[in-house]
Amino acid sequence: MVFNSIEFLIFLPIVVLLFYVLPQKLRWLMLLAASCTFYMWFVPKYILILLVTIIVDFAAGVLMENYADRPKLKKAFLVISIVSTLMVLMIFKYLNFLTENLSLLCAQLGIAKHYVTHIILPIGLSFHTFQSMSYVIEVYRGHQKAERHFGYYSLYVMFFPQLVTGPIERPGNLLRQLHEKKEFRYENISKGMRLIIYGFFIKMVVADHLGAYVDKVYAEPSAYNSWSVMLAMAFYSFQIYCDFFGYSTIALGAAKLMGFDISDNFRTPYLAKSIAEFWHRWHISLSTWFRDYVYIPLGGSRVKFARWAFNILVVFVLSGIWHGAAWTFLFWGFAHGLLHIIEKALRNRFPEKEMKSKWLSISLDALRIAKTFVLVTLFWVMFRATDFANMKDMFVAAVTNFGGGESLGVKPEMWLYLGLFILSDLLLFNSRFDQWCENKPMVLRWLIYGLLIFLTVACSSVNSFPFIYFQF
Amino acid sequence: MKKFLIRILMAAALLFVLNWIYTKWFYKKDVAEHSDILELVWQVEADSCRIVYLGESSNNTCGVEELGRKKISEYLAEYFPNVKTGDMTKEASHAQTYYYLLKNLSRKSTVETVVVTMNLRSFDARWIYSNLETPLRKQLVLMEDYPPFMNRMLLALKAYPIRSEEELDSLTRQHWREDPIEFPYEFEWDNVYQWDSATAWRGLRNYENEYDPKWTELACHYIKSYGFQIRDDNPRLKDFDDIVALSRKRGWHLVFNLMAENVDKANAYAGKDLMYLMKQNHDYLLNRYGHLEGVTVVDNFNLVRDVNFIDQDWTTEHYYEEGRRIIASHVAEAIKAFYPNDYREQTWPCDEGHYYFGDEVRQLDAALPYGPALMLPTDSLREDWERVNVAFMMQQPDTLHIANLVVQLVHHDGGAESKYYSPQITKVGEWDFSTYDLSVDSTMRAAQQLKIFVYNPSEHAVQLKCMDVSFRPAYLKPGVKGQSMKKE
Repeated sequence: MVFNSIEFLIFLPIVVLLFYVLPQKLRWLMLLAASCTFYMWFVPKYILILLVTIIVDFAAGVLMENYADRPKLKKAFLVISIVSTLMVLMIFKYLNFLTENLSLLCAQLGIAKHYVTHIILPIGLSFHTFQSMSYVIEVYRGHQKAERHFGYYSLYVMFFPQLVTGPIERPGNLLRQLHEKKEFRYENISKGMRLIIYGFFIKMVVADHLGAYVDKVYAEPSAYNSWSVMLAMAFYSFQIYCDFFGYSTIALGAAKLMGFDISDNFRTPYLAKSIAEFWHRWHISLSTWFRDYVYIPLGGSRVKFARWAFNILVVFVLSGIWHGAAWTFLFWGFAHGLLHIIEKALRNRFPEKEMKSKWLSISLDALRIAKTFVLVTLFWVMFRATDFANMKDMFVAAVTNFGGGESLGVKPEMWLYLGLFILSDLLLFNSRFDQWCENKPMVLRWLIYGLLIFLTVACSSVNSFPFIYFQF
Repeated sequence: MKKFLIRILMAAALLFVLNWIYTKWFYKKDVAEHSDILELVWQVEADSCRIVYLGESSNNTCGVEELGRKKISEYLAEYFPNVKTGDMTKEASHAQTYYYLLKNLSRKSTVETVVVTMNLRSFDARWIYSNLETPLRKQLVLMEDYPPFMNRMLLALKAYPIRSEEELDSLTRQHWREDPIEFPYEFEWDNVYQWDSATAWRGLRNYENEYDPKWTELACHYIKSYGFQIRDDNPRLKDFDDIVALSRKRGWHLVFNLMAENVDKANAYAGKDLMYLMKQNHDYLLNRYGHLEGVTVVDNFNLVRDVNFIDQDWTTEHYYEEGRRIIASHVAEAIKAFYPNDYREQTWPCDEGHYYFGDEVRQLDAALPYGPALMLPTDSLREDWERVNVAFMMQQPDTLHIANLVVQLVHHDGGAESKYYSPQITKVGEWDFSTYDLSVDSTMRAAQQLKIFVYNPSEHAVQLKCMDVSFRPAYLKPGVKGQSMKKE
């Protein structure tokens, strides 16, 4: 089930109503059933893959705790759990990519027999496998008590608001809340609704309208003039942000309706002044996952520069591959990592000095923000391109087609939607829509609700754009 | 809780206001952009039409080089110059589309008679799972029975079936594989999938007895388009039933216009088995709707000849002017009963090489065993005519082949040579049709005169009507004939 569907708009109120009507001891069961329904709405049989991961990791958690005094055995359970989870990921996400490349290699070497697999990626696999892994690692580290109730553990992995595209939750936050008794509070309903309305607006009005322009240009870059190609690149930066941010905001809202607080995934990322800061603001749950479970175990920053650079590259390349099984994603991750290292090296060489003039400081910050946005936008081309040829076509068209080619012909209302979003994002700097509304006068609040509902319903794109992060 | 209830009331008031704003300033623009089909309804209302014709591309498709480029509905309008006639035409539409259109006609509209296209192929899997279905269903969302703002929300949430081409293709194939086809006699294949595959594998021989890929491809198209049996759970039936119910509620004269299919080609390429299925489906529709009160079914099914079909390498209901006129004349004949004083007879010349002997029923018995005959000096046969289609409708008292089609060649020395063809009649006491695809060969051209007629040598009376003879090239050449174009 996708959030922007009539099915979800029927499903969600029923689940929320049942949640508050049922006694606490039955709520987990209802939520688990609802989450299964939500997931099985796509392709029912894929739930079996999820079930395998859940069983293995649940058992691993319990066994690790039971054998806490036998470190080798405990470690063995951890390894078994992680390897089996990664195997699932490997088979369903990366096997096609591996066999495709092996096949190409075989063809190059003149080996006639080669085989390419065509396995369909179960929706949200990368998200829930990472969530499940974080639980096992936390139990191993002793930061989290093993969950002894299979139902609650299953619900932790499958909690429907964040099941398919995150945020990737930690057991310390979500699992704990699942055990808590949630009382009906008007405040939760109000905040949840605000988040849902805002999420729908940025996904259905901003992201989907932008998607139409982006798709046109990426399908045939050479047909458009350089300005249009550059505009499409910038549009994609906003499309992917609004798409993912929109989905995450709806997820936050849906969980909030039942009193659950799930983690924020974004904090105005395009106001970042560096690549490092960008990753503190973009897809925060994934960045922190890699930080806690890959970067720090590798040594983090408390090592020599060369080793640190290696750690960074490993993390970013893994992050690239996490997004998709294609060379373009790997390249995208590598490029981010490399730039991160260059930035750090430059900062070490030329440390930032405190500006005496406030305006000079602001201007410099604005330049840094613009620079980061431009670089991130250029990197998004690798992310969005279907392959290297498409990526090359985009870059070539962006610098060689000034004289000819079609214009993108952006409708005036597109600028209005984008402008409204940018304005709202600036207003929400380091805040969230539900919190921002909190202390506004009621008339203003309801005017904003009215405007957002109206725009979402009357001005949303009627073309079908699936959530971009569904493919991961 | 009180606060919560107050907020719910405020939200309801907000939605009410938003609906008003949307309806007042945005709805029309949205309809133009996303549901132009609804504008057809508004146009019919604005024109104060009394007769409305609902159709798909069969209504407005013309041959590229045709001079007469009117729609079927426009030819129909000529029969009733004093009755305002309009049309709602949308490509690939079907009964569900028509139901939505009719449902959206205001109760104050002046419409009295509704002519609804009934296309046999629209009951088939390939149409049901057509890739045009998603855009069509998308158009219908703004026509739902909810307030406009709610409809726009449904459109925004894509509350219509969205299926990818691969998915549709897979559903069609699955249907072909799982939907059994049943014959009252032994038939080699269980379903269309097997039948089509076997036909493609075996290949078809052409007039020269050579395997012909083009013929094979066309035969497969016909098998896939018409090789099905309408069952009670066919989704189109429910839609037609809904139209009947709506029509009764609104007090309209309802006419189902069963469109002509290219039975000549179906018979020539896929033979009696496919004809059996086509006839069975035709009968099913006539039996289901032909006897309902307030419903008239105009049966054009076999009344347009191959030569009048524009698309020669595909299964469509796109007709040349003569075909469109034939359909319009039959619909007009049915509507005449509702507007007897407004009816004006129309005539038009037959195309060269086309001879039609009219709808009048002739009895062939011992006293008069011969039906109407085409008598043609063979020197008037054009060089490029290589085939001749002969079709007629017959009603006979039993299934014995008691009446035959006779093709007689009168030679220069006065001698005559006759060939007899048994009619492909399977029904008793009911009208059934036969169609033949014959060769215009050198023997025929060497004769002095060609006679084509139906002869009943028995003592049992046989009824005959709609005798039709049309000469044509073996293949209609693309670019000259065989290309269709929508009428603007």
